[in-house]
Amino acid sequence: MGALADESMFAWFGKRIKSKDSTSVFLLAPLAAFELVFFVVPFLILVRMSLNSQPETGFYETGWTLAAYGDILGSNLYQQMILFSFKLGVIATVVAVVLALFYAYAAYRAEGLTKSILLFSIILPLLTTLVVKTYAWRPLLAPNGVLNDFLLSLELIGSRIQFAPSLFGTVVGQVYIVFPYAVLAIYSVLSTLDWDVVEAARDLGASRPRSFFEVVLPEVLPGVAVATVVSFAWSVGAYAAPSQLGTGSQTTFAMEIGNLMLTNFNWPVGAAFAILMLAAMLAASLAVIRLLTGSIGGVQDV
Amino acid sequence: MASVTLADLTKEYGDLTAVDGLDLDVDDGELLCLLGPSGCGKSTTLRMLGGLETPTDGDVYIGDERVTDEPPYERDTSMVFQSWALFPHKSVLENVAFGLKMDGVDEAERNERARDVLEVVEMSEFVDADPEDLSGGQKQRVALARSLAIEPDVLLLDEPLSNLDKRLREQMQLELRNIHDEVETTFVHVTHDQNEAFTLADSIAIMNDGDVEQVGEPREVYDDPVSLFVEEFLGDTNLVDARVQSHIDGGVVAATEFDEEIEVPTPGGHVEAGDPLTISFRPEELDVSRVAADGGQSADPAEAGDVTTALEGTVTDVLYRGSSVRFYVQIGETSVFFEQSVGDKTDFEVDDSVVVSWDPEDLLVFSEGERLGRGGT
Repeated sequence: MGALADESMFAWFGKRIKSKDSTSVFLLAPLAAFELVFFVVPFLILVRMSLNSQPETGFYETGWTLAAYGDILGSNLYQQMILFSFKLGVIATVVAVVLALFYAYAAYRAEGLTKSILLFSIILPLLTTLVVKTYAWRPLLAPNGVLNDFLLSLELIGSRIQFAPSLFGTVVGQVYIVFPYAVLAIYSVLSTLDWDVVEAARDLGASRPRSFFEVVLPEVLPGVAVATVVSFAWSVGAYAAPSQLGTGSQTTFAMEIGNLMLTNFNWPVGAAFAILMLAAMLAASLAVIRLLTGSIGGVQDV
Repeated sequence: MASVTLADLTKEYGDLTAVDGLDLDVDDGELLCLLGPSGCGKSTTLRMLGGLETPTDGDVYIGDERVTDEPPYERDTSMVFQSWALFPHKSVLENVAFGLKMDGVDEAERNERARDVLEVVEMSEFVDADPEDLSGGQKQRVALARSLAIEPDVLLLDEPLSNLDKRLREQMQLELRNIHDEVETTFVHVTHDQNEAFTLADSIAIMNDGDVEQVGEPREVYDDPVSLFVEEFLGDTNLVDARVQSHIDGGVVAATEFDEEIEVPTPGGHVEAGDPLTISFRPEELDVSRVAADGGQSADPAEAGDVTTALEGTVTDVLYRGSSVRFYVQIGETSVFFEQSVGDKTDFEVDDSVVVSWDPEDLLVFSEGERLGRGGT
């Protein structure tokens, strides 16, 4: 009897899953539950927190006010931080995407072992934690570090240069973090490119650079859009690279939110800051996609 | 328009030799088909001609100019690819105008010229279409128009019809012929399909193993193959192994897989007793009749002792192939086939005894892959 009951239960479940109209609901259910518990609910808590009053002592005082938002938008210091965050985002994104485009193209054109090595060396850094690999840049870029020793021994520089902590170090660290993702986004689209098309362009009189811009670039634009959005969103919200490879003037809003939450115990302002930046980055990302693919949904055409 | 000369052309990929010391001349305005099985190096040859591959050795001349080291964009050749390779982000018109754009022709003129070429290939109504929305045949026309638009000296076609279904392919073969007559450009067309080569070509170059086996007009190549490879590749035929027994006037007597000795003409060919031969009995040269019930056959087998031009056999299989019927006849240890059109009066059935006869002059005899007495008959 028990076995029969079980069987009918499974059969019932199986029918539900198989019937067309509810298939997607069942498949999406675990993901939806996960999103609800770990993303939607915390986000709502964050929104609620941003509307609380700032405390004299403790983390927050319950209330309904937009004071936290006003404080952020009115603060000269915070404006500087936001400006710097976006500046770092733009620089790191441009550098990472341009380098990734060349790297992905090289990997696409390479064959056999070279191709495997190029692709594997892109995956390899992803196996190390972000903090460790960012920290690893410090002995390389520091004034008494490896890069300075090397350049001095070649007599390319006269005195030691502080590559890190500095803006340079921050950009290097941040590019290093997002580079693999940018390469993979571009490579995945590029790998669908029919090489005959490029040969056809050259055959019809397009030089090598010309054939790249006329044929390859339009084809990989969706991949470039994804790479740009991923790099930009991550770099604007950078935390690890500026905190380990930057100076005090390379403070991003993400670092400041960390301070507000964990050191200054000003949760309403921290929460409001997070929500403002989230909205700003969402708008910026949509604008990038729109710019590169001509439509918001364009990336799905990949 | 220009002639093409390939001199001692060689292409190696590591240990693999794709093209091996190939020499070939294509006349100005000629439509030459490079015909051969997969992997014989015909596409590689075409790509070296277009500059998409660099030869390991040897030279490519277009007209009188040596272009061996010129990149594809410096050559006046244009390739139609097997995959057609249309630019996916450009309209049909932009695709066709692309080559002119690269040549620096201004927009108004290049669009006009592109429209003219699209008219030639009957694609005028698809000027603004996205190539991805076109059918295979339409893509093929656009690819052809794109290559014709730059008015190349030599048009290279890399099996562009192989992705089309049979009916469309045959239609496009005729159209390609007409377009060739219209534009008077030198065409080099690669294909593995004998029928396509025979339909299209002014001249056929049969390739095997990285080199040209034979070049000539379709009729000439078919009637007078230089080697066993060409004979086998150009069409279905009956190949029978034999061994030389003795010499007679103008030929030899050979023991065959038919278990009978037959007379084989070998003009100009030197063979010794005991040498192996391969004899091609083309199905269209075989004459087949039923053994009469009273045994009063005119072409009685074995009537001239052990040497004969007619043998008796048994029909083993009858295959209906649409408009024709193919019959297999077992003779001795081997079997031969011949074909009849559906509707021909003489129908044979399985287990019928038949007499297969031939004119010895129609036999093609090969020794060690080479044709014996070529041109002698």
